[in-house]
Amino acid sequence: MLDAIRPLPVLSLPLPLPLPLPLRPDRRAVRLPLAVESVAAGFPSPADDYVEVGIDLNEQLIAHPSSTFFLRVSGDSMTGAGIHHGDLLIVDRSVEPRPGRIVVAVLEGAFTLKRLVRHQGRLRLEAAHPAYPPLELHDADDTRLWGVAIQVIHPL
Amino acid sequence: MPLATVLIDGNNFYASCEAALDPVLIGRPLVVLSNNDGCIVARSAEARALGIAMGTPYFQVRRQLERQGVVVRSSNYALYADMSQRLMATLEPWVEELEIYSIDEAFGRLHRPAGGDLTAWGQALRRQVRRHLGLPVAVGIAASKTQAKLANRLAKRSGYPAGGERAGQSLGVFDLGAVADPDLWLEQVPVEEVWGIGRRLSRWCRLRGIANARQLRDLPSGELRARCGVVGLRLQQELRGHSCLLLQSVVPAKQETCVSRSFSEPVTSLAALREAIATYLSRAAEKLRRQRQRAGTITVFVRSSPFNGTSFYANAATVSLPLASQDTAVLLAAALPLAARLFRPHKPLQKAGVLLQNLQPVEQLQHHLLVPLSPEQQQRREALMATIDGLNRRYGRGTVQWAACGLRPSWAMKRERLSGATTTRLADLPVVLA
Repeated sequence: MLDAIRPLPVLSLPLPLPLPLPLRPDRRAVRLPLAVESVAAGFPSPADDYVEVGIDLNEQLIAHPSSTFFLRVSGDSMTGAGIHHGDLLIVDRSVEPRPGRIVVAVLEGAFTLKRLVRHQGRLRLEAAHPAYPPLELHDADDTRLWGVAIQVIHPL
Repeated sequence: MPLATVLIDGNNFYASCEAALDPVLIGRPLVVLSNNDGCIVARSAEARALGIAMGTPYFQVRRQLERQGVVVRSSNYALYADMSQRLMATLEPWVEELEIYSIDEAFGRLHRPAGGDLTAWGQALRRQVRRHLGLPVAVGIAASKTQAKLANRLAKRSGYPAGGERAGQSLGVFDLGAVADPDLWLEQVPVEEVWGIGRRLSRWCRLRGIANARQLRDLPSGELRARCGVVGLRLQQELRGHSCLLLQSVVPAKQETCVSRSFSEPVTSLAALREAIATYLSRAAEKLRRQRQRAGTITVFVRSSPFNGTSFYANAATVSLPLASQDTAVLLAAALPLAARLFRPHKPLQKAGVLLQNLQPVEQLQHHLLVPLSPEQQQRREALMATIDGLNRRYGRGTVQWAACGLRPSWAMKRERLSGATTTRLADLPVVLA
C-alpha cells in the first residue's frame, strides 16, 4: 500500500521554457512525455501508462539511418509502381537486392530506377510502364546494384 | 582470451565519398582539392595509377589533368562529415569499444575469438561498409594501437614480402596476430612510418642504423629510455604488442575552438579583414553553441603571405570577456576592434583566424557583479541564437547572418568545383532516372 501513495516523479523543467521551436527534429533528441495529470498525492492515474511520445516519420520510414540515402526521381518509367517524376525516394543500401524489389542501379554513369526481375534464369531490370523495354543485366555485381528503394514520398 | 586492437580507415576517403554519391565518377580518375582549390589532397585509385602525386599544386597540373580526363572536385566538407558519421555508426556494432580518431579513422577493441584469427572478421566488416556506404576501408588488426597502425599500413600494400605469400593475407585486411612470422612484416615498415615516432627520433634511429619497425622494437630498452625517456619506452612496448595507450571512446570537452582560413586573394583593406573575422567568429560561435560551451577569451590572428615580396607579417591580439559568452553579437563586439589593431595598410594578408579559449560549459556561468544579465534577457538571447542556428542548419549556412560578415566577400574561399550536399540537403539530392 505504501508504494501506491508515494508521489510521482516530477519533471523539473524551468519555466518559462527557454526552448525555441526546433526547426528540424533531432533524431538524438530525447522527447519527454508530459505528465498528463497533476502531481498531487493520491493514486496514480492508470492513463499514465499510455502516454504517447508523438510520431517520428524518420523512425517509421528509415530502419537503418546510416545506410539510407535520399534520391530525387526524374522520369515516368516507374509510374506503374506508384513512383512519379519529382518524388522523393528513400533508398536503403543495406537491404539485399532480391528479384521483385525496386532497385537503384548504376547504368552508364547514372542512377537508374527499375524493378529487379528474374526472367528465364537471368536477372533483368524492368520498368513499370509499357513504353520502356526491359534491360538485361549481364553482370549483376554489387557495384551495379547500388541500393534498394524502400519508400517513396509523393506529394498529392 | 586476449584483446585485439584494430584500426579501420577509409581508402582515399574524400575521393571515395564523392564517388559513393555520384555514379559518373565510378571507375574514373578523380582528385579532390584542398581549401581555395590549392593542392591535390585526395586521389581515387584510378588517379593514383596515373601517377598524380599527393600535394601537387592544382595550377601546375591543371592542363595535364584535363588532357588525362581526370575529374576535379573542391573539398565538400558537408558530404565528408556526413559520410564519416555514417561510417562510424556502421563500425560501432563490430567492436566492443570504438575511438573515433579522425574523419576517416577509428580504433577499435575486441576479444580475439577461439582460434585467434580475425582476418575473416575484417573481411566481413569491409564487405559491409562497402555495400552499405559504397566506401572502401582498410582494416589493420594487432595487439596495440601502434601495431594496429602498422597492420593497417600493411593491409593497404599490394605486394607481399618473400616468404609471406602463405600467410593467407588478403588485400584490405591484415592481422598481425595471425601471421606465421610477424617479424618479416614489421621489417617491411620503415622506421619513419611508425606511429608517433616524430622526426627527431626517426633521424636518431637512422643514425644508429635502425631502419625498420622490427629493429626499433628489438633495440635495448635502456638505450631508448636514455635517449627519449618514457615516451620512447611506451612506443617500444606498444610495438612489442603490450598495449599502453587506452582507447578514448568518450570525447573530452574541447579546450578551445578555432576557425581560420586562407583568403582566395590577398586582403588589403580593413573592411575586408573585418568581414572575414566576423565570418570566422560567427562560425566559431555556432560551434561553441553546438558544444554547449561559452568562451571567456577571444584571440584574432593574421598573417601575410611569405611569398609576396613584402616582408612577412604575422600578429595576434587577445581580448578577455568580463562574462563568458556564446552570443555571436557579444563576441563580435569584443573581437572586431582587434581587426583595426592588427591591420597594416601595406601588408597584404593571406590568412586570418579566430581562436576561442577559456571555454566553460553553459551550465556553469560565473556571473559578474558589474555586468548584470537578467535570466529573461539571457533566455531571449539563447532563443535567438538557437533560432538562427536552426535556420542555417535547415536552409543552408549563411541563410541568416550578421551584416558584419559582408554580403559578397571577395576574399571568400574558392571552391569552384564543389559537388552538392548530396546526403544532407533536399535541394542537392542526387537524381535517379526512372
